[in-house]
Amino acid sequence: MPSAAGEDGGWSSRDLLVNTDVRHEVVLGVLIAFEIALFSITGRNFLSLDNSFECIRLSVEIGLLALALTPILITGGIDLSVGSMMGFCAVGFGSMWHDAHLPIGIAALLTLVLGLLGGALNAALISCLDVSPLIVTLGTYSLFRGMAEGITGGARSYSGFPGGFLFVGQGYLGGVLPTQTIIFVPAIAAFWLLLNRSIVGRALYAIGHSAEGARYAAVPVARRLGLVYLLSGLSSGIAAIVYVAHLGQAKSDAGTGYELMAITAVVLGGTSISGGTGTIPGTLMGLAAIVLLQNGLRLSAWPSELVGISTGLLLILTIVLQRVVGKRGDRLDRAMPGKEPRRSSVASLATKATIALVLVGLTGFCVHQRQLARILEPGHEPGKRRVTIGVMPKSKGDPYFISCRAGAEKAAADLDVDMIWDGPTEVDAAKQNDVVEGWITRHVDAISVSVANAASISTVLRKARSHGIKVVAWDADAKPDARDYFINQATTQAIGYTLLDEAARVMHEKGEFAIITGALTAANQNLWISFIEERMAKYPNMKLVSIRPSDDDRDKAFSEAQTISKVYPDVQVMIVISAPAVPGAAEAVKQSGRKDLLVIGLSLPNLCKPYVHDGEIEAVVLWNTENLGYLAVSAPAALARRTFPAGNGTFDAGRLGELQISGSEIILGAPMIFRKDNIDAFNF
Amino acid sequence: MKLQLRPAWPALIALGTLYIYLAFAAPKFYRADNLRDLALANVAVLLVSTGMTLVIVLGEIDISVGATFAVCSIICGTFAKLGVPAILWPLVALAAGSILGATNGALVSFVKAPSIVVTLATMVTWRETLRWITNGAWIEGLPNTFQWFGLGQRRGEAVIVASAALLFGILWWTSRNLSAVRAIYATGSDAEAARLAGIPTKQLVLSVFVVMGALTGIAALLNAVRFSDVPANSGINLELKAIAAVVVGGTPITGGRGNLVGTLLGVMLLGSIGPALIFLGVSPYWEKAIQGGIILAGVLVDAISRWRGRRVEFA
Repeated sequence: MPSAAGEDGGWSSRDLLVNTDVRHEVVLGVLIAFEIALFSITGRNFLSLDNSFECIRLSVEIGLLALALTPILITGGIDLSVGSMMGFCAVGFGSMWHDAHLPIGIAALLTLVLGLLGGALNAALISCLDVSPLIVTLGTYSLFRGMAEGITGGARSYSGFPGGFLFVGQGYLGGVLPTQTIIFVPAIAAFWLLLNRSIVGRALYAIGHSAEGARYAAVPVARRLGLVYLLSGLSSGIAAIVYVAHLGQAKSDAGTGYELMAITAVVLGGTSISGGTGTIPGTLMGLAAIVLLQNGLRLSAWPSELVGISTGLLLILTIVLQRVVGKRGDRLDRAMPGKEPRRSSVASLATKATIALVLVGLTGFCVHQRQLARILEPGHEPGKRRVTIGVMPKSKGDPYFISCRAGAEKAAADLDVDMIWDGPTEVDAAKQNDVVEGWITRHVDAISVSVANAASISTVLRKARSHGIKVVAWDADAKPDARDYFINQATTQAIGYTLLDEAARVMHEKGEFAIITGALTAANQNLWISFIEERMAKYPNMKLVSIRPSDDDRDKAFSEAQTISKVYPDVQVMIVISAPAVPGAAEAVKQSGRKDLLVIGLSLPNLCKPYVHDGEIEAVVLWNTENLGYLAVSAPAALARRTFPAGNGTFDAGRLGELQISGSEIILGAPMIFRKDNIDAFNF
Repeated sequence: MKLQLRPAWPALIALGTLYIYLAFAAPKFYRADNLRDLALANVAVLLVSTGMTLVIVLGEIDISVGATFAVCSIICGTFAKLGVPAILWPLVALAAGSILGATNGALVSFVKAPSIVVTLATMVTWRETLRWITNGAWIEGLPNTFQWFGLGQRRGEAVIVASAALLFGILWWTSRNLSAVRAIYATGSDAEAARLAGIPTKQLVLSVFVVMGALTGIAALLNAVRFSDVPANSGINLELKAIAAVVVGGTPITGGRGNLVGTLLGVMLLGSIGPALIFLGVSPYWEKAIQGGIILAGVLVDAISRWRGRRVEFA
């Protein structure tokens, strides 16, 4: 009897293991089917061949990381360093090709070696020294990203890669299939074979169930663990190369945040974070669920924050369902070891999931209907063609772009156009590309974009132009051949010069000053700094003592400013060139009580008003952001309606009056300087 | 009372070396105003790391603290703007933090979902929801009584540092003397054994996450009142700072062990490094790499000492 019970228990638990996987994949399948059904109603051109290939392209880099993370999670480990490793490998690849003049193939091979080395560091610490993978990879997460930033000085990026290489990330095989596929499919096959058709793979599952048990079963645990982290390094290296080819540019911020997306895909795919279970098909389905969600929300022009929220909720929902059903299955199994109950629990799980998803979907559909109703309101003149314009900020959360949006919305109402305001929630060049791809699929009439990174976005903008979409860059320019016009709010040179001229005026052209910038990798800020440095030739007695990062975080700017004022007590002026950092630095000056230290900032008047009146901020330099936002809609609208004047001359920008066009640039005007006497006249 | 600093000795040595080196290379570091600013800048990290130590001792992890911090900051700011008197703000912060913490705790303890996945999900959800609602806009135009609780800068600073020290002291004392808190250690080292020994482990897990959330809420409030307005995206990377401080302080991520004095040392070490590097004139481009290196070094030293300890045991 005891032996029979033991046998029985063993049998049913193994059966359960297999069955949980199947159940999970059923749930995911229902979920994916539901996403497809929902988005094919709400999204424009969601259900097209082009779009499905685009989805594949979007998923390759994260997919490669997710594939590598699957065996790691199966062993009960984790690797948080994969995204940072991508940044490190991308920078290494760029510098080997550009600085060491290696042929691109060799550079790519050496990049894979670099990835393996990084993986080896993780592997050595985790498997030989037996340190928790969470901690090791948390350390290497900072280390790899930090090394990438250190090597490039944060700012340098490598571009100008040969077309043959870019084809890997941007081309189509036979005109339809994204080239990345030929890298992704073998990777899938390799990981599937590893997990399902090899002794090593079975050992990984065993380690995940119980490392001690596996050791007694003669599994070389340390070597097997080392292998999965090595593979993850290699995979990150491959992902880095694909990423560089995709964006046409290698920079130290490559892959930021990808580790979370990849882990989410793996866990959503049914791999248990505590080890022992998980499959490659599950991971692929998890990946598909996330990518379809992103792509579908974009094509439906729903706010991009919903991507994060719904991914988070999905993750929780999946876990809860997994647990609840797992528990019931367990109980039923124990009650009667027949096979009947399992089938019914699959069915009940599927029903529940469907009901939950239908509810979520219906809510979304109602929201969408309301939007549609707003767009389709009667009262439009029939003769005028209704145009849709996609307008993209660098980051949606930045107060600067929020104030641009106010102007853009005014223009959309004045000119009677449909505006889609969407973009990354934080500055992210790769995500900007994804959004533009979505708009091309949606067939918008014009695209208006504030470019985070000219080299990386230009390819996709050219593609948009070849589809007959008008492209305008605003705030920051793309490559000139990738857009029709650039709205120049004030040249970067004028900004840099004005900032230093203001500082010189306050300091009577002599003494020390410091700069607090945004992130060290921010392209705009680095340009301004270079022009500030160029202008210093005019003021030989002024000395720049330090450039410090604030990461666009007010609290960090506050600490940096405090420390600068103590380390360099002779600093008279801090030039702060990030909108949220200016009030932080001003607050630091205020709390120190120093009257001989002033802030000159590039920020929004509203954020700075109290400090300008208090006297900590001497001057705020900026252009009229609302007018910039207005122009970012009115210019592409005129282009799309073919009412834009050809050649040099002036453009009637409605409430902004006549604006000068020079070449392919529309000039908004010189930068404005806000001081105590005029700042109250502005509200943005 | 013994401090039990043994696991924290790498942090202690690193901190000692750094402080002695600074005394020669950059004596300005020790000016009173710098030390005061350092203390104020690290109040929030200390409170969050204290909670994180308890969570990690329990064998769990919480990476949603940065997002919780942002949500609580905005909620405190909103209530202050609505004219709620200052005396009620701590209650608001506690309530908001506890509710968010309880969400994590309930999912971890009653649904038995792994904490890293739960808090990963809630991290994304809170942050994006906040971004959606506020649209990134700051809470500006707060009443003058918001900054420093309306007490003026010097008294406000004293209140902030004192309340953090008081909270830390209470938790440190209870973590060594109160059976309810000792139960966290028991559960962290073997949950099943703890349950069989009569510890209500589920409720314990829930309460630790509630405490984590509440501490984060208070940290958010104490940080917010140092300024005159509240940004919508505060607390970025706070979870990493806190986890790093706990680990550098000698608390193993595997649970069951760890002490709050080590965490205090960890916070001091990681909080001093950034400013110290500026005092020493190190290029900011290498800061992140140095910080990552320090965490790894701490891990390495710990691993080697454990390894040697094991060899001695065998001998």
